[in-house]
Amino acid sequence: MTIKRRSFLKGLAGTGAGLSMAPLLTGKAEAREVRRVQDDHVGMLYDATKCIGCKACETACKTANKLELELDPTGTFDAPRDLSTNAFNIIKMYNGPEGMSYVKRQCMHCVDPNCVSGCPTSALNKEPNGIVSYDKDACCGCRYCQMNCPYNIPKFEFNDWYGEIKKCELCRETNLVTSGQPACTEACPAGAVIFGKVKDLLVEAKSRVQKSPSLYLNHVYGEKDGGGTSVLYLSKVPFDKLGLPNLPEYSQAYAQESVQHRLYQYLALPGILYVILAGIAFKNRSGHKED
Amino acid sequence: MDHEKALGGKIFTGPVAFLLLLFLVCAYFLVIRYINGIGTVSNLTDHQSWGVWKVVGVLVGAAFVNGGYVTAFLVYIVNKGQYHRFVRQAVLFSLLGYSFAATSLVYDTGRYVNLLNFFIPKYMQPNSALFEVGICITAYIVILAIEFLPGLLEKFMPEGEKSDNLAANLHAFLNKVLFLTVAFGVLLPTMHQSGLGALAFLMGQKISPLWQTPWVSFLYVTSSVFMGLCIVVIIDILYHPKSLKNQEYLGLLKTLLKIGVYVAIFWIVFRFVEVIRNGGASNLFDVGFEFIFFWAEMILIVIGMIMIRKTNARSLFSGAALMLTGGLLYRINTYLVGFEGAPGVTYFPSVPELMISIGMLALQIAIFITFVKIFPIISQE
Ligand code: SF4
Ligand code: SF4
Ligand code: SF4
Repeated sequence: MTIKRRSFLKGLAGTGAGLSMAPLLTGKAEAREVRRVQDDHVGMLYDATKCIGCKACETACKTANKLELELDPTGTFDAPRDLSTNAFNIIKMYNGPEGMSYVKRQCMHCVDPNCVSGCPTSALNKEPNGIVSYDKDACCGCRYCQMNCPYNIPKFEFNDWYGEIKKCELCRETNLVTSGQPACTEACPAGAVIFGKVKDLLVEAKSRVQKSPSLYLNHVYGEKDGGGTSVLYLSKVPFDKLGLPNLPEYSQAYAQESVQHRLYQYLALPGILYVILAGIAFKNRSGHKED
Repeated sequence: MDHEKALGGKIFTGPVAFLLLLFLVCAYFLVIRYINGIGTVSNLTDHQSWGVWKVVGVLVGAAFVNGGYVTAFLVYIVNKGQYHRFVRQAVLFSLLGYSFAATSLVYDTGRYVNLLNFFIPKYMQPNSALFEVGICITAYIVILAIEFLPGLLEKFMPEGEKSDNLAANLHAFLNKVLFLTVAFGVLLPTMHQSGLGALAFLMGQKISPLWQTPWVSFLYVTSSVFMGLCIVVIIDILYHPKSLKNQEYLGLLKTLLKIGVYVAIFWIVFRFVEVIRNGGASNLFDVGFEFIFFWAEMILIVIGMIMIRKTNARSLFSGAALMLTGGLLYRINTYLVGFEGAPGVTYFPSVPELMISIGMLALQIAIFITFVKIFPIISQE
């Protein structure tokens, strides 16, 4: 089933255009602008071929962000199974016909994030430095972000009487303030995950692929995938095997907002419709005052 | 001419007591939910975090009540005065339905107090379809309440031609500005229904091509039209057992349903075109869970349409009910059956979770039954 879903939306790339409501409106209504990485956006580059699976980043992330340990049955080992409200960062492993690889998962800090676009109360925001931040005082707990994040990143405290959404915020209020870089990049002993400006990281990633083409797939995941992300990935094993989905080269938020903007541009359409409807109802009024 | 009358009769009857009992069970689970969190009563998880509360409560709840705007449109915009008798009951039903949708948001959302942020400019997020839905629900509840007010006021007006008290004056004033509210009452649900569909579009590939399309908003609006017509007919038949042999009456219902059938045919064709255009053609025949639910939708609606061809109360009623069920299933399918948060993740609501939805629904029906006994809502010949 997943296979079938993989790429069907690729065919919709033109749907922004397919849904041409434009003539209905001002005649000039355009799809929303495409968002791109800005020069001062920060992010991370994770190179799966360098990762040794030591999970130092997991521990560092938990310590820096004061997250609870999820102990294994013996009670001696912090053993999160997946991302959760207490694990913003996790190392997983794939071992199959394509080879063996670790993969680090955390929020991708998308260039044009679905979660931000869908959040009804502006609790999720794309900050000027590119970090996708969360504000619990704004969040109404609708969990739409969980439904629309292509990477299933936001986690909700389901067993709390007044739960919050929890996810990686690139340590923007913790390690980034105290050490100038996220806890996970600081802790990595193998240089597998590094912090920097996205534009520099992209140059670095491309040069690694160029220098040793046999070591990598010729694809920097996150450069374009899903409209781009501030966390970039390099790997030898296909990315979808590592749980990074095949996404079209545009963000779904872009597609959605384009459709919506066409319909509601400047509220012109609803406004015009209202006047027409009210006019007709007014004209018909005498017909059935009180039958 | 028909006139709306209060039905009268005993208020606290057996069925009402039963409905209230259901609500009590629901209230019990609600208390647990508010003390210990959503996870303790529901099967919701991080990978399927919308369940029956949101999908049945908000999406289906909102679909159930389209009768209000569809009849208002027919009567005040297309000027079909003969349908006037349907307006008030449809408006009450819609009012309750939307309040029901709004209340389900209060127990579904994790940080319900912050729902108020929908109305604080600094937090408003007009790009969000969910924001649009929330605002439209609230605005529409207000509009429906205004449309409904005359029915309440009549109860307090002195009999006779020239009544002159506060209630009567307000009644007259409302009648004068009715056209302003009616226009809103038609426009808002259209926007709102399209918003309900738009929610799905942002979920992208997580929804199967059998349901995902950039036109999903449009499909939600069109389906709301035929569902609205069906619900109007269903309620009307339930409340007019004496007219069921009256051919003129049945003809009136049939004309309504016929409009619904045309819209439904258009909708079905559009659905198939979109599934194929979005590369879901093979999913249509890929026997499995999604396959069954997709075809169930189609078959329910088509059988419903066929039944409506006969002009007797039983066929009209069952036909409308089948079409309505198909339409409701479409909405449930989009977000529950067609949605796959992560490979292999399945979801089925827990008993407490279901009881909360059922209990709230029961409360709504109990209120409807009681209202029509006290206030002049249902037209009597
Ligand atoms: S990965 Fe998900 S949570 Fe993170 S920015 Fe992108 S859409 Fe938002
Ligand atoms: S759960 Fe909170 S952060 Fe997520 S979309 Fe809803 S309001 Fe926004
Ligand atoms: S950036 Fe910070 S919060 Fe995010 S995964 Fe790394 S350590 Fe954890």
